[in-house]
Formats: sequence, structure tokens, C-alpha cells
Amino acid sequence: MTRLSMNRRKLLTTAALSGAALATPAYLRRAHAQSGGEVNIWTYNDFVPEAFREQFQDETGIKINVRLVDDQGKQFSLLAAEAPNPTVDIMTVAGHRFLQFIDSDLLAPLDTDRLSNWGNINPTFSESDWATIQGHKWGAPILSGMEVLAYNSDIVSAEEAQTWDTLFSETYAKQTAYIIQDMMSIIMLKMGYDGNMVEYLDNPERAAAIVEEAKNFLIEHKPLVRKYYDGGAEFQQMMVNQDIVLGHSWNGPAAALINDGFPLGMTIPREGSYGFVYTFNIANNAPNMDNAYTFLNAILASPEVGAAMTKASGFISTYKGASEYLTDLEKKSTSFPEEQLANLQFFRAEANEMKYGLVDPAVEAIKAA
Amino acid sequence: MTFPASAREERGATAARDRTFWGKLSGWAPYGAALRVATASPRRQFLILAICPVIWVLTQHLGPMVQMLRVSLTDAYPVAPGTPQHFTIEHYLAFFHDPLFWQPFFRTLSFAGVFTFCTLVLTYPVAYFLARHVRPKNRMLLLLLLLIPFWVGEIVRTYAIMILLGNTGAVNLVLKWIGLIDRPIPFMYTSFSMGVGIVYLTALYMLLPLYSALEKLPASLNEAAADLGAGAWTRFRRVTLPLTLEGISSGCTLVFLISTGFYATPVLLGGPSTTVFAETIAGFFHVAGDQWPTGAAFAIIMFLAALLVTAAFQKLMSSLRKGDSK
Amino acid sequence: MTRHNRILLSCVYWAFVAYVFVPLILMVLMGFKDSKFIGFPIRSYTTDWYTGVLQDTETLTAFGYSVAIAVLSTVISVLVGTWIAVLLEGRKFWGRAVILGMTILPALIPGIISAIAFRIYARLLGIETGMGAIVWSHAVHNVPFVVLVVMARLSTLPKSQIEAARDLGADPLIAFLRITFPYLVPAIMGASIFCLLLSFDDFVRSFFLGGYEPTLPVLIFAKLKSGMSPEINAIATVALVLTAVIGVWAERFTRRMNKD
Repeated sequence: MTRLSMNRRKLLTTAALSGAALATPAYLRRAHAQSGGEVNIWTYNDFVPEAFREQFQDETGIKINVRLVDDQGKQFSLLAAEAPNPTVDIMTVAGHRFLQFIDSDLLAPLDTDRLSNWGNINPTFSESDWATIQGHKWGAPILSGMEVLAYNSDIVSAEEAQTWDTLFSETYAKQTAYIIQDMMSIIMLKMGYDGNMVEYLDNPERAAAIVEEAKNFLIEHKPLVRKYYDGGAEFQQMMVNQDIVLGHSWNGPAAALINDGFPLGMTIPREGSYGFVYTFNIANNAPNMDNAYTFLNAILASPEVGAAMTKASGFISTYKGASEYLTDLEKKSTSFPEEQLANLQFFRAEANEMKYGLVDPAVEAIKAA
Repeated sequence: MTFPASAREERGATAARDRTFWGKLSGWAPYGAALRVATASPRRQFLILAICPVIWVLTQHLGPMVQMLRVSLTDAYPVAPGTPQHFTIEHYLAFFHDPLFWQPFFRTLSFAGVFTFCTLVLTYPVAYFLARHVRPKNRMLLLLLLLIPFWVGEIVRTYAIMILLGNTGAVNLVLKWIGLIDRPIPFMYTSFSMGVGIVYLTALYMLLPLYSALEKLPASLNEAAADLGAGAWTRFRRVTLPLTLEGISSGCTLVFLISTGFYATPVLLGGPSTTVFAETIAGFFHVAGDQWPTGAAFAIIMFLAALLVTAAFQKLMSSLRKGDSK
Repeated sequence: MTRHNRILLSCVYWAFVAYVFVPLILMVLMGFKDSKFIGFPIRSYTTDWYTGVLQDTETLTAFGYSVAIAVLSTVISVLVGTWIAVLLEGRKFWGRAVILGMTILPALIPGIISAIAFRIYARLLGIETGMGAIVWSHAVHNVPFVVLVVMARLSTLPKSQIEAARDLGADPLIAFLRITFPYLVPAIMGASIFCLLLSFDDFVRSFFLGGYEPTLPVLIFAKLKSGMSPEINAIATVALVLTAVIGVWAERFTRRMNKD
């Protein structure tokens, strides 16, 4: 049983506002007395909201240096090239990629006792099983994403979007797009297998057979796809240009389109889908370890900061009570009906080495087919 | 090369009278002394000329490459501290064992070749027009006009091409408005859109060498050929083309080399079946599996192949040039 | 006959101008779109993106940073590249082909790999990440382009001119500076344009070797993560106009210097 046993209904329900927001300034003032110096962060544009950054710097005297990254792979390569003496204190890693970083000794385990605001995170994210590896927590969850089926609601009906099958139907031939790597996991799930491959850790032949089956499915349906894409911006542009009318996407880029008034709908189809979580992680051998903890605790203090991250990225905040600070449209673009959320499970990293050892060559084969 | 002593003295005398900067320089005693030391023998003169470039090339160009070669030969990279590292050539063998990789590999080489040819055919007349038919006063202006768009970053330009060719893009809008089509033509995510994007990126690198080759071609040659009764096409084929082979060869080399390395544009503008090798290589660095050694090995294979093609091309061009001069 | 040719050629020229400019015009236009995404149809217009960019110190700083890097790395590449070209185009010597091969190496390595190789090598040499490291990597990467362009020009230099100068008593260095170098100027100008462009547009090397200060392409890539917004188009347009202004100014300046 690898499914997430946590109560998923809590995913987006808002908890009562804690007093943390009010307590923040006092905490930060205390920190100011002890520290100063700087903290170096690698993150996506706007993941550290500007208002928070200024307030933090004023109150603690710690200078925040942000290095903007644009994808997980480059961040990994950069950190690997800098190891074992990185220049960075905090990175932004997607939860299911932890293991790759941990295996290469790039992350420091997180001492949650040093974070008085840890409890402000919705336990669905902070305490779920993917977050604990080798008995440690490795990151503070900040934003949650998921693989969704997004569609142009002027052309595709909400009914059709309830199943991944529509993505492969003749009706929308040459008007669809997806990210192959992600689609492989979804296809495995759709076929009734464990897309995380954790179940098959002891049975590599079965794992290989399943990947083969998913691969053949995608190759068979290759004539119907318009584009295998990589980044959210590409997906948005294809939608705007009407090169595609439906496609697999992450909820963040899709939400941004909805918030801009584009007639887009998104669903978690009934066959199920995967979610992932962006976390702030502390680098192994971080040069400013204490400041990194001060920063983490401060950024977790207020749900308003969580809401600001959501507004900038379209992903769902992991903070309790963050949605209170969103507009109605933003709330709509970052929430799903309960029955759809019931189909969601999180990516897990345990079997990644085996899984990607099989999936990466399969992806190459699909592209080459 | 050394000068006979008498010539040197004579030069010193004239230089002393010379009021120009160069005259003063060659008359300046320390300069003369340094030069005498430096040019004492042809061998020393050559060594002094060669030493800086050789050091630069060895340390700066070869250094990173050797690093990569080392990575490509290790069994795992980055290594976790404490684990032993082994050397292996399996990453190279992986390429030859798996036909999967051959397709993007040869596709890249052939695309690069085709796009180089397209760029040449497209820009030659433009360069020709600029160099032969525009008054010298306006030449620079018209050339600079063409350079403006190249100051815009690759990504922004690539997205502009999406806006141009998309289903609701400018081209489809215009065609619809004229009434030529009812439904948009799907230009995007095909070899066509990819070609449009790549030629856009490479045109400049072809244009400049062609222009400089055509510019120094004396107009009198063409006139002489015309006087001898050669038609326009013959003149072009027998006079202009052979004399600009040098420019064509350096432009093509440049464009070919650059286009084998393209990543962002083919990825953004290409379709499901136009994967290029750079994308395959980047996959080893980007996607979940951290397989730097394989990526590095493949990069070296690509590099050797590109080098081979370029060398063959250069040989061909130089034999063509020799053939013509006979 | 020639008249027809001329008209035909000028048509080709202007068609080419259209080809390179239409995307550019679209880019400028999209900067005025009142939406978070570029593309047709444009329902309403706004100048907010442009005014925003002009007031955004982060973008303007990144632009200045990129220009400085481009100019510095170009100066280094041109100096080194010309020197190498002179060596290689001179007399034949043992190992010439090897040196030539190694010279063009950096241009052949795919971006991401060259960036990582530079990053690892920088650590080996003890070069701190930041502006110095970016300038270094751009300079090394651009040298091959200078060498190829300068060599092409050098091969057409009439040997008789040098010989004449030498007969008149010029020493090798002065002969180079007074005859060869002026002959190379157009090639060097062209090569400089290449280098400036390559450096100004480079993302991967700047990303891997940069510090916490983003260059313009790094900033644009980071912004692209949240969508291709008209803001990015406005940034690109403003950067284009600013570079054009700097270019025109530099051209005027050098012309005045030459007159004096």
C-alpha cells in the first residue's frame, strides 16, 4: 500500500489563523540581535516575495541574496559542481527529487525543532510520508503542484476532461501536448499500476514490463500529439495561440492562464494523477546555516507570505490559512472538488533510481519513434 | 627574420627624422633593443609569437575539455565523498550499442547541413546586393539595419516566431483576412517552424563573412568578363562564385558548428519527431537520472563528428579552390 | 539585364529585411498587450509594461551588468583571437593543425556541457563565481569565432604589401601594426559584433558561472518560468533600444577619436 494515507480532504481546507502572523515581528527582532550577515537562496522568480524580503532584511539585518533558477535539473547540476563547499544556503527542490540530492550528499537534514513555525504548514504536506526519508525531514514545504488535464473550455467540454483518454482521442488529434516524463507516470497509473514503481522495487522484470507497456501506448498514440513540451511557459503559449486545445499541465501554469481570463478549465481525471511539493531545503555544508534557519522560520511565519507565493506562481500554498488572502478567481484556480482530490497521490522517490533508469530510455525511444 | 646591420642603422637615421608616432617608436632605444632580442633568430621570433596563444589554448581551451573527458570516463559523477571512482569506457559504448541514439545524432548532422545550406542560399543574394549594388555610403547603414534584430535574445525571438506562426499567429490571421484560408494552417511544431527559427539565428553568421568576401571583389573583373561576352549567370558561376569560396567556406563552417549545438530553439519550435542530439545530451544532465558521464561521453562523440564533417568540408572547399585556380 | 538583376536582388534584400523584422515588430507590439500572456488577439493595450521596465532597477542593473560583461569579454577575445589567427595563418609549423583544432574546441561543445565544464574548471583554478568568471568563460568561448573570421581575412592579405614595408625598413612588429592590422580592422569589427552578440545573449554559461547578480538573459529565463508575459517583451525591447543608443554613441565616439 503506497497510496498516501493522510486525509487528503485537508489539502485545501483552511485552518484557523494562528497567532503566528502577529508574533512575527517580535521573533524577527530577537533574531536581529544575534545575527546579521547574509543568506544565499536559489529559487524561482517570486518564490521569495519582495515585501517579505524587505521586511526580513530590515528586521534581522540579514541580507537575502537570491539567485534565480529556472529548472530543477540545472539547480542540481550547479550544486553538484559546487559540492562539497556550496555557496548556497537554501535551495528550492521538488519533493520527489529529494532522493537524488540526498544520495549525492547535497542536502542537510532539517532540524524541525529549530523552526517554531513548522506547525503553520498544513500537516498534509509537512507530515506526509514522502517528506520523511531515512528518518529525517529534508525540506520545508511551501507550494504544492499537481499534474492536471487542462483544456480550452470553449472547445472541450468539462465532461470530456474527466478522463485522460480524451487526450488520446481522434477528436483532438494534433491539438494536444504533454511532458513525456510526467505522462509516463500518469499512463502507468491509468493502466492500474503504481506509477511511482515503489511496489515493484523487488521485481525489476515486472517494472520493466510495465514501463514497456506505457512506452508502447505513447508510441502508438504519437501521431495524435502536437508537441512534447518541457516548460509551463510553452504550454501557456500553445494554449493562447490555439495550437492545442487540451493537454497535460502542471496546475501552476494553468492557474496563471485562468487568472488572466483565458477560458481554461482543469481537472484531476478520474484515473488519478500525481502531486508534488516544492520545498525550501538547506544545503549540506551551507555557509550560513544559522541564518538559513532564521530565514526558514520567518518565511513560514505568515500565511500572507504563502498567499503571495501562490499569486506569483499559480501553485497551491502549503500554509494553513493562505487562501484567505486570495481573490475569488485565485481561489477558484487553486482549488479542486473533493472527489477529484481523492484521486490524487504524491510522487514518491524511493524507487526513483529504478524508475528513471527505465523511464529515461523509454522517453528517448518515444521521441525517436 | 633579421635585418643586416647596415639596414638597421640606416633605418635608425631616417626614423630619427621621422616625426610620426611610428618613427619615434622605432627610434626609441629600448624598443629597438627589445626587438633585437626578440627577433634575434627566426626560431626565437616564432617562439615569441607562439608562446602566448599556445599557453592560452592549452590552459583555457583544453582545460575544460580535459575535465569533461575525465567525467566521461568515470563510472559515476558527481561522486559522493568517500566512494571510490573507477574509470570505464562504457558510456561511449552505450552510444554504439543503442540504435535509439543514432537517429537524433544523424538528424542533428543532417539538419545542421540542410539549415546551413538554406542559410547560404538565402543570405548570398542579400550579401551580394549589399556589396555590389548599394552605394558604399549606404552599405554600412543597410548592413547595420539587418543586424538590429540579432540583439534580441534567442528566447524572446523564438517566442516571437511562435506568435508569428501559431494557429492564431500573425501569418494565419493575415491569410484568413485575405480570405485564402478558412482554417488556420498548423505551421508550428514542424521542421518548417524549426527551420524558420534556426535560419533566423544563423543568418548573421553567414551574412558577415559573405559580405566581406563579396565586398573586396573588384567590380572590374565582372566587367571584363562581360566585355568578353559572358552572360550574367556565367559571370556569376565562373567569376563571382569561385572568388567568394573563401567567404562561403568560413560562413558555412561557422553556421554548421553553431547549429549542431543549438538547444533552445529546436526544443521550443520543433515537433514530436524533430528531437536533436543536443536535447538528448541535455537530457542526461537535466532529467531525474544524474548521468553526467554518459552526457559528457555523448557530447564528445558529437564534437568529434562535427569536427570530422567540418574537416571534410574544408578539404572539399580547398580542392575546389585549387581546381579553379588551375 | 543588370537592371533586372538589380531590381530582383533588391526585392530579395527587402524580403529578407521583412523576415528578420516581422518577429521584432511583433515583439515590440506584444509589449503593449494588456494581459499576462503574449499572443493574438490583443483586446486592450497598455503602456504599463514599458513604464514598469524603465522604473525597474533590477532589470536595468542586469542590463548594465550584461553590457559590461559583453564589452570586457569581447576585448579579451579579440586580442587573443587575433594573435592566434596571426600565428596560425603565418608560416606552416609542426602541430599547426592540432593548435587549430584545440582553438575551435570551445565553440563546438554544447552549451550546457561547456558551462558545467567551465564551472568545474573554474573551481580547479580557484576562480570565484561572479562577473570575473562570466567574462572569462565568454572570452574563452568566443575566441574561436574571432580566429575563424580573422584568419579568413588574413589569408587574402597581399603578401607583397608586407614585403614592401619590410623592404622599406619596417621591423616585423611595425609592419604588423601599420600594414596587417589596418587590413584586419573590418574583420576585427565583424568579429567584435559576433562576440558582443554571443556574450550578450548567453544564458547557460552566465547561469553556471554567475553569482547572485543576474545577467539579463538569466533574469529573463527566471521570469519566463511564470509565463511569457508582455513584460519580457518590454524588457527585450528596452534592452534593444538601449544597445542601439550605446552602439550609435560608440560609433560617433570612435569616429571623432579618429579625426583628432
